[in-house]
Amino acid sequence: MMREWWAKVRQAWSRRRNLADLRDEIEAHLEFAREDNEARGMTSEQARREAARQVGNKTLLEENAREAWVFPRLESLWQDLRYAARGFRKSPAFTVSTIVTLALGIGVNTAIFSVVYAVLLRPLPYPASERLVWLGESTGKAAGISVTWLNFEHWRAENRSFEDLAAYHTGDFTLTGRGDAVLTHAGLVTSAFFKLTGSRPLFGKLFSTEDERFGAAPVVVVGYEFWAHNLGANPNILGTTLDLNGTAYQVVGVLAPGPKFLNRPFDLCLPLGPHEDRLDRGRHGSTRVLGLLKPGVTLAAARADLDQIMRRLDVSDPSTEKGHDAYGEYLIETRTGEIRPTLMLLMGAVLLVLLLACANVSNLLLARSTERVREFAIRSAIGAGRARLARQLFSETLLLTFAGGAVGVAVAAVCLRVLQHTAPSDIPRLSEVSLDVTVLAFACAVTLLAGLIAGMAPVNSASNLDLTRALKEGAPGAGSGRRREALGRLLVAGEVGVTVVLAFAAGLLVRSLLIAQTAYPGFDADHVLALELQLPPGAYTNGDAAERFYFNLKEKLRREPGVEAVGSVNCPPSAGDCGDWWYSVPGRAVPSREDVPLTLTNIADADYFRTMHIPLKAGRDFSDADRAGAAPVAIVNDTLARRWWHSPGEAIGQEIKLGGPYNKGPLLQIIAVAGDVSQLGLDTIPEPEMYSPFSQNRSGAMVVMMRTAGEPESLARAVRRDVASLDRNIPIQSLKPFRSWLAAPLARRRFSTLLLGVFAALAFVLAGVGIYGVLNYWVRARQREIAVRLALGAQSSRVLAWAGSHIGRLLASGMIAGLAASWAVSRWLSSLVFQVSPRSPSMLLLALAAVIFIAALAAAMPFWRAVHTDVVGNLHDF
Amino acid sequence: MGRMSTVDDPRESLEFLQGTLEVLILRSLQIAPNHAYGISQFIRQQSENEFVVDNGSLYPALQRLLQREWISGEWKMSPNGRRARYYKLSALGRKQLAKSQSEWRRFVQAMSRILEPQQ
Repeated sequence: MMREWWAKVRQAWSRRRNLADLRDEIEAHLEFAREDNEARGMTSEQARREAARQVGNKTLLEENAREAWVFPRLESLWQDLRYAARGFRKSPAFTVSTIVTLALGIGVNTAIFSVVYAVLLRPLPYPASERLVWLGESTGKAAGISVTWLNFEHWRAENRSFEDLAAYHTGDFTLTGRGDAVLTHAGLVTSAFFKLTGSRPLFGKLFSTEDERFGAAPVVVVGYEFWAHNLGANPNILGTTLDLNGTAYQVVGVLAPGPKFLNRPFDLCLPLGPHEDRLDRGRHGSTRVLGLLKPGVTLAAARADLDQIMRRLDVSDPSTEKGHDAYGEYLIETRTGEIRPTLMLLMGAVLLVLLLACANVSNLLLARSTERVREFAIRSAIGAGRARLARQLFSETLLLTFAGGAVGVAVAAVCLRVLQHTAPSDIPRLSEVSLDVTVLAFACAVTLLAGLIAGMAPVNSASNLDLTRALKEGAPGAGSGRRREALGRLLVAGEVGVTVVLAFAAGLLVRSLLIAQTAYPGFDADHVLALELQLPPGAYTNGDAAERFYFNLKEKLRREPGVEAVGSVNCPPSAGDCGDWWYSVPGRAVPSREDVPLTLTNIADADYFRTMHIPLKAGRDFSDADRAGAAPVAIVNDTLARRWWHSPGEAIGQEIKLGGPYNKGPLLQIIAVAGDVSQLGLDTIPEPEMYSPFSQNRSGAMVVMMRTAGEPESLARAVRRDVASLDRNIPIQSLKPFRSWLAAPLARRRFSTLLLGVFAALAFVLAGVGIYGVLNYWVRARQREIAVRLALGAQSSRVLAWAGSHIGRLLASGMIAGLAASWAVSRWLSSLVFQVSPRSPSMLLLALAAVIFIAALAAAMPFWRAVHTDVVGNLHDF
Repeated sequence: MGRMSTVDDPRESLEFLQGTLEVLILRSLQIAPNHAYGISQFIRQQSENEFVVDNGSLYPALQRLLQREWISGEWKMSPNGRRARYYKLSALGRKQLAKSQSEWRRFVQAMSRILEPQQ
């Protein structure tokens, strides 16, 4: 009843006055009764006594009436909490260790969950983002390759599954004519792209389908960041032109600040439309398609729909592309697919850490409740029900866990800050991570869960209290001692198991990282300075100009003191996959369409292999004779050569056909076999790779490598000067020692390994504390027994063996459980380890050894105490 | 709620039905404002000593009625010059009493139809 409830709330402020009124009223009542009694002829003494009897127990009367003013349940909770707080203040060591343990567990969980939520779970910031899909084409071998323009047009016109489709790809354009040349990152997009990503103009307009038409005047929409930082936030920018790769684009609009589509936002958006070289159905570029599914249409149905269109095209336009299907995945999965296993592993790890924290707190509470057995016995003897006692224990636990939770959120905030500063920048959306409402709700839920888990054991053991025994014996350990010990042992065995799993997983990752970091990259990476350049296509449209520029630059660099050799490559080791293509070996069995092999493609100049110290296993280096017009040649890597020939020597003089049997492509003569390099990163297995000579395949985008006598950085200034002296308008993409190129792809591995290592360390500490606690209790409870044994002449070693066998049994059962769990977990680890078996027995042994070591450390103190038991003192106490 | 005590009466005690004490209080105040002792005397006399109100039930019931704003309390002088808290029926309480009376009537009729059917 609302009115009554509200009155209670209001009365909370005027209880003192209400109580005074009530007392006065009862006094008056007494007087009335006495007067009546006198009127009935009693003596005044008789009347007073009779009145008092009629009124009854005044205090109880007050109590009863007061109950109407309050919320009895709430008040008793409040009472419990106050009582608990008093108890906690009296045992600060217990309180602090409990709260710190919980705060660690809850803190790391909250921090990692906030990352998982922001990166994996939170919907993308686009309208109807749950229906956005990413589309590509797939062949038998490769899924998600680019969509050709013609296919896209047919998809767009003929599909029945999408509300809209937008094509996009990225391109780098050099902006000139506004001070120093700037390399911009542009998105070439169809007009629907803006709609699908919810982009709006800050001012001006976005493209229309008119702007996509072939031959339309070139226009550009400027991204907000680029407009603000590079174009001086010029409000009069509309109508002016930007010179991009030598073409003047008219600015028609500026985008409002908004969600970024990709990790790296577009500086500019240019219209994407049909183009003469896009009218070949087999001509792949890097175009991908974004689609908005109609409500209720599944991705599978949409793919089937697009596949049907592809089948029709196969018939009407039979080309080399026959048999391609549509490929699609939800955008959110595309964005986060790669990081998912890592984050799930970390989340799993912190949950285990939380379990450990709960087990420890549970143990602490158990120990405490055992010491309070007398208190509970007395309370239950004077009438507290079991439910009432359980409720009190739970309120105590809740108070503790919520204190732990509050500190935990603070811990999480600190962890998060550290995470954001140490995490590699390629984790999508990491900058968006924050302790928002969802995360705090999670923290609350975790805290509650922790409280329930940790509170279960003590409540359970307290409500099974044997009253008589507890009151009689009264010593710590009496009453529920045995039971409490069994529970404690179970908890510690569980802790040991969990720690084995974490140590095993962390060990695997650390081992992988060490292997990767010290892996030989296939060349000498020290004392190399790498200069990354991308010549603006406007000024360097023909290959001759690019070749002349690089020739002159290398001549200049070679003359710098301290430079020993200069060579250049299009795609340096660890830069990843800059391009791959089908190939085949003429004379060998023709593979089916689905089985055409792929090779990475690369471009190197004549000095590259020598400069990098990449060994040539056979054959000769590129030379000046390998000119445009001369016979096309290639150097292949060891992996490719081994696939077809027994020894590198046999490969020399053989030919490979680029494009494979079904696509156009040149026939290349193999002139050398180079050693494998870590093209895709140090923690990868080499893939087949093929280099063509720069002189036959001139590119504007090259990384110039300089082998230096001293520290590579010392040359940076001279290098910049040399580049500028040749052409002011060339932006330097990067200039850094090559070691940092190698380290970059390992950043993520290093990050996840570090985190898992920290969590494993945390687990060790928690398990150590847990073992210490249980063993310490075990020894204390047997102090007298030990004293008797010692008094009867037992050697210290016998006592040690006794205690040791106790802890040994405990460890053994925990470790067996841990081994089984590790075995089960290893399946999920296989995608994260490198060159270590995810079921590596030596790693398992190492994890066990580490746990035994921690257990030994934790046991040292209780053992020492056991051996040094005060025999006389204990025997006197009998 | 309350229980009828058998202080002066040797017969078995009758228990107040849930909520009936409140109705009896309201009814006693319908006649004139009264203090707690007066209310308990009124109920006892009117019921011819069948109901003896336990003070342990009376005071909480009064508090509940105050909270529901069915009655209000005011400190006044009694005719014999004693300061006492007088309770008065509010408009809301009057309405509630009328409702309870008709409900009671239906309840009694239904009960007696079952317990003492007229053949």
